[in-house]
Amino acid sequence: MSVTLLSVATAISQAILGAIGSVLPQPASGAVTNVNTVDGLAALIFAAILLLASMLNTIVLIWWERKLLGRFMDRRGAMHVGYAGLLQNFADGIKLFRKDTVKPREADTLGFWSGPTAYMVTSLIIFAILPVSTGWNSGSLPLSLLLALAVFSFAPLFIFVSAWSSNNKYSLIGGMRSAAQMIAYEVPILLAVVAVVLVSGSFDLQTIVLEQTNYWFWVPLFLALVVFVAGMLAEMERIPFDLPEAEAELVEGWNTEYGGMMFAFFMLTDYLRALLGSFLIVLLFLGGWTMPGWVPAAATSFPLAGIFWFMLKVYIVFTVFVWIRASLPRVRTDQLLRVGWNRMVPLALLSVVLAALLVTVKCLPVLGCIPTLGG
Amino acid sequence: MAAEGVRKEPKSADNPILWVARPMATAARQFGKSLIRPSTIVYPFERLEDPQFREEVAVAAGKPIGVGAVWDNYRGVHALNIATCISCNLCAFSCPDLCIDMVTVPGGDPKHPKKCPEIDYGKCSYCGFCSDACPEGCLTMTTRYELSTAKRSEMVYSPAKLYEVFQRKLPMNPVRIELPENEDAILLDPPLCIGCNACSRDCPTQCITMIDIPKVAPKPGEKPAKRIWKEPVINDSDCVRCGTCISVCPKECLFWGSRT
Repeated sequence: MSVTLLSVATAISQAILGAIGSVLPQPASGAVTNVNTVDGLAALIFAAILLLASMLNTIVLIWWERKLLGRFMDRRGAMHVGYAGLLQNFADGIKLFRKDTVKPREADTLGFWSGPTAYMVTSLIIFAILPVSTGWNSGSLPLSLLLALAVFSFAPLFIFVSAWSSNNKYSLIGGMRSAAQMIAYEVPILLAVVAVVLVSGSFDLQTIVLEQTNYWFWVPLFLALVVFVAGMLAEMERIPFDLPEAEAELVEGWNTEYGGMMFAFFMLTDYLRALLGSFLIVLLFLGGWTMPGWVPAAATSFPLAGIFWFMLKVYIVFTVFVWIRASLPRVRTDQLLRVGWNRMVPLALLSVVLAALLVTVKCLPVLGCIPTLGG
Repeated sequence: MAAEGVRKEPKSADNPILWVARPMATAARQFGKSLIRPSTIVYPFERLEDPQFREEVAVAAGKPIGVGAVWDNYRGVHALNIATCISCNLCAFSCPDLCIDMVTVPGGDPKHPKKCPEIDYGKCSYCGFCSDACPEGCLTMTTRYELSTAKRSEMVYSPAKLYEVFQRKLPMNPVRIELPENEDAILLDPPLCIGCNACSRDCPTQCITMIDIPKVAPKPGEKPAKRIWKEPVINDSDCVRCGTCISVCPKECLFWGSRT
C-alpha cells in the first residue's frame, strides 16, 4: 500500500519535469511543473515500465519454453547466444525486424495491417489491469477481473479479421477454427470464474487474492481449476488445442500470410497471452503473491517479495503448460468442440454448484474459513 | 468383436484420464532422464571420437552414448600409407563409384612409376570396398568425417592429402592382417606365351619370375617360333591377386583358375 508502481512513475515524472522546470524561465516552468503535465508523463512512464516488464517476461518465457521443450525432447534447446541461449530470442527478434513484411496483392489492406497490431495491443492492455503484487497495477479496480476477461476475449475478433483479410484459404480456415474454439471455451472459463467469484465475493483481483490467505482456491475449487486450465489452453491456442495453427495441415493457420515483424507480433502475442493465462491462474487459484502461513516470514518480507513469489508461481504454471505441450497430441476439431460444450460446460456448472455449497458452509474442516473481505 | 487383423487396443484406451496421464508420465520420465544429460552432443565442442569426452560421458550417464562397436567401425575419410602402397590398382578396381584414380606420385623409378589412389569424395559412398581389397592394408578408413569445403575441387583428396590423414593417427577401422583364403590363382596357357616379360615387369609384388625353358625345335616345314624362350612362374604366396599381369599380357595367355 505504501509504494505503488504509479507512485514510482509519478516520482520519476516529477524529478524529470522539476529538472526541466528549474532551467526554463518562469511562465514556461510553471506550465511544465503543472500537476496535469506531471500526471500525464507519469502515465506514460507507467505504461513504458509495464510494457518493458511484460515484453521482457514474454521473451524470457519463450526462452524458458525452448529450454524446457528441449529437455522434454532429449535435446538442449537454444545454447550459444548469451548464457545458455538467453539472448537467442533477441537475435531472432532482430532478424525478424530486418525482414520485409509482404502484403499479398489481393489482401485487404486495413484489416491485414491492423489485425496483428490490435491483437497485440488488446493483449498488452490486460497487463495494466492484472495486479502482480500489492500496488503494482494502476490501482484497485472494483471490476478488474471482469475487465481483464472482457479484453482477453477480444482476440478471436482480431484473429478473424487478419485471417479474413489475408485472402488465403489456410488463413481463413485457421481463423474460423480460432473463432469457433475461443467462443466454445469462453463459456466454461467464465463459469469457472463464476465459482471463484462466488467464493471470494468480489470481482476485484486484489480482493480475490487477499481472500486466499487461509487457503488457496484450487483446493476446494479443483474442478474449476481443471476447467479453467483446459479453457486457457484453448484460449492460448497451445497444444493440444492449437488447431488454428496446426502446422501439418494449415501451414501456419491464421498467420500464414504474415512475415517479418507482423509474424513476430503474432508470435509475441501468443506468448503474451500464455503469460496472461498463467497470471490469471495464479491470481484466481494459486493465491497470487501471498504465501501460506508455514513459509518463514523472512521469505515473504524482503523487498519485492510479492513480485518474486508471484512470478515464481507464474513460471511454474507455465512449466506445466510446456509439459502438457510436450506430452499430448493435437485434438480434432470435432473432439475439441465436443469436449468444450459437452464436458467442460457441465463440469464448470458443477464447480459453480460446489462453490455455492462452500459459500453456504463458510468453513471447511481442515482448511479453515474464508475471510469475508468482499462482503 | 474386432475385425480380423485389427490390433486390439489396450484396456487403458477406454479411460480418458489415462489418455492424458500416460503421455504426461512418459514425458516427465524423459525430462528427468535428459536433465542429467540429453542424448545430443554439443558437436563442435564435444566430439564422439575424443577419448576424453567418451570417458566423461560414460561417467556422467552410466553408459556411453553412441559409443561402442558401431562407432569403432565407422567409415570416414581414408588414410593412405604411401610407403607401403604397391600400386596394385585393387582399390580402383573394387570401387563401385569409380571415384578412385591412380595418380603418379614421386618415389617410383622412371620405368615403373609409383601410382597411388586419389579419391574424389564428391562421388565416394564410403562403402569400404577399397580398404577391404587393399592387400597391403595401406588404404584404411578412419573416423574423420569433416569434409565440408568451399570448392568442389577440394573434395578430391590427392595421395599426399590422404597420407596427411594417415599421419594424424586417427582411429581406423580394423586393418585386415591376413588376406582371406583365396583359391584363385593366375594360370598360364604355355603354348600362347611369347616370354615377353610384361607380367613380371609390371607385377607390383615382384612375385613373377621368368625362368628359362628349353628351346623347342620347329617341326619340319614350319618357321621357327618368334619368341623368347622364357616362361613366367608365379609365387602364389606373394601374389596379391591384383590381375595386373593378366591385363598387361599381350597374348592373353594368363587367366584366373584353380591350381587343384
